[in-house]
Amino acid sequence: MKFRDYYETLGVARGATEAEIKTAYRKLARKYHPDVNKEKDAEDRFKEIGEAYSVLKDTEKRAAYDQMGSNWKQGQDFSPPPNWNAGFEFADDPNAGFGGYGGNYDGDQSEFFESLFGRGRHRQGGRSSNARQGMHFKGQDHHAKILIDLADAYNGAKRTISLHMPTQDPEGHVITQERKLDVNIPKGIKVGQNLRLSGQGGLGMGDGGAGDLYLEIDFHPNALYKVDGKDVYLDLPLAPWEAALGTSVNIPTPAGSTLELTIPPNTKSGRKMRLKGKGIPSKEPGDFYVVPNIVLPEAQSDEQKAAYQELEKAFDFKPRSHLKG
Amino acid sequence: MSQSNITWIESTIVEDEVYMTIVELSHAASTPEQLIMDWVSEGVLSPAGSSPQDWRFSGDSLKRAKTAARLTRDFEINTPGLALALDLMDQISRLRAELSRLNGPA
Repeated sequence: MKFRDYYETLGVARGATEAEIKTAYRKLARKYHPDVNKEKDAEDRFKEIGEAYSVLKDTEKRAAYDQMGSNWKQGQDFSPPPNWNAGFEFADDPNAGFGGYGGNYDGDQSEFFESLFGRGRHRQGGRSSNARQGMHFKGQDHHAKILIDLADAYNGAKRTISLHMPTQDPEGHVITQERKLDVNIPKGIKVGQNLRLSGQGGLGMGDGGAGDLYLEIDFHPNALYKVDGKDVYLDLPLAPWEAALGTSVNIPTPAGSTLELTIPPNTKSGRKMRLKGKGIPSKEPGDFYVVPNIVLPEAQSDEQKAAYQELEKAFDFKPRSHLKG
Repeated sequence: MSQSNITWIESTIVEDEVYMTIVELSHAASTPEQLIMDWVSEGVLSPAGSSPQDWRFSGDSLKRAKTAARLTRDFEINTPGLALALDLMDQISRLRAELSRLNGPA
């Protein structure tokens, strides 16, 4: 396990006041909040900041953390000294549990944090039922993210997905359980949209019924296609003579079939060709764009150089006439 | 390897096919109903229907409500501040979309 320097994470001195710590946290939180910052590592960074703040804003936790001394360095191998926290009493964060990214999130704390302060009290019912007489509550709705293939969005798919769900064992300890689900994914799902699986969330109490499971969708990275909402783009390399004279090419569609596409004469690089309605299917389906990209072959042999020279003779071509040089 | 006895769980696309009552949205976004009412009166969410009992939230309200809940919690902002932040974030994503329409997607 690696030591975490919470002061370094927030960029404050060890002697920083509560106000300084709060200001530093707020500035970093605004910068790295995953709703605001779309960089890939923003969420991890935000969780580190949140963890550091949850310790340093809390007088008891900060005092306990501080008494380990200032000789530890970020990333150093670490195991907590025996009885390191004797005499400290930690209260649960009353704000934990209401739909945010930050703070004490079950399963989101580092191993380092958990070794020192334990896991936050688990607030979700998990899949374990706890029916008391006369009490009826609907179970918790659960949320998870999954990756699917772009082709699944076109065709629909049957997929077995595995989720890691925090749940409680009979003694009330939080454990992570793997859960496999066989899901029928309808066609037409797009990045960032959610699938709802009725009754697959937490179990309810009494006659309350189970909650629902929401799966937020992202696509596996794809070497050929770029996706923008319901529109899909394919980069199509063309030889100069194909673009100039026109041709017919076979292109793979995201749905997995092949399509014959006519390239008209004098096609230009970057001029998108729209295949209307061939994007991700939906009531109003997206479009499929093929973007021609003219690739110049290198002149290596004498014959190839001669061919370029023939081109030069055949054209009165002034590509820089607008520069008036 | 017996494939025959798998029961495939049906799923629906929330944003395209689902409408939610305030009770369902409150449950799915882990947000108190009163807070959702405040958001509606500030224009953060725009359900169909005239009174909270017959409000119908479109599926994409779920994502917005979850974002709103996170921002409210993580920055302790009040409802007018939240509405402003969400509007500005909408503007940024419209500008990003416009930029990618001009340059091709990233």
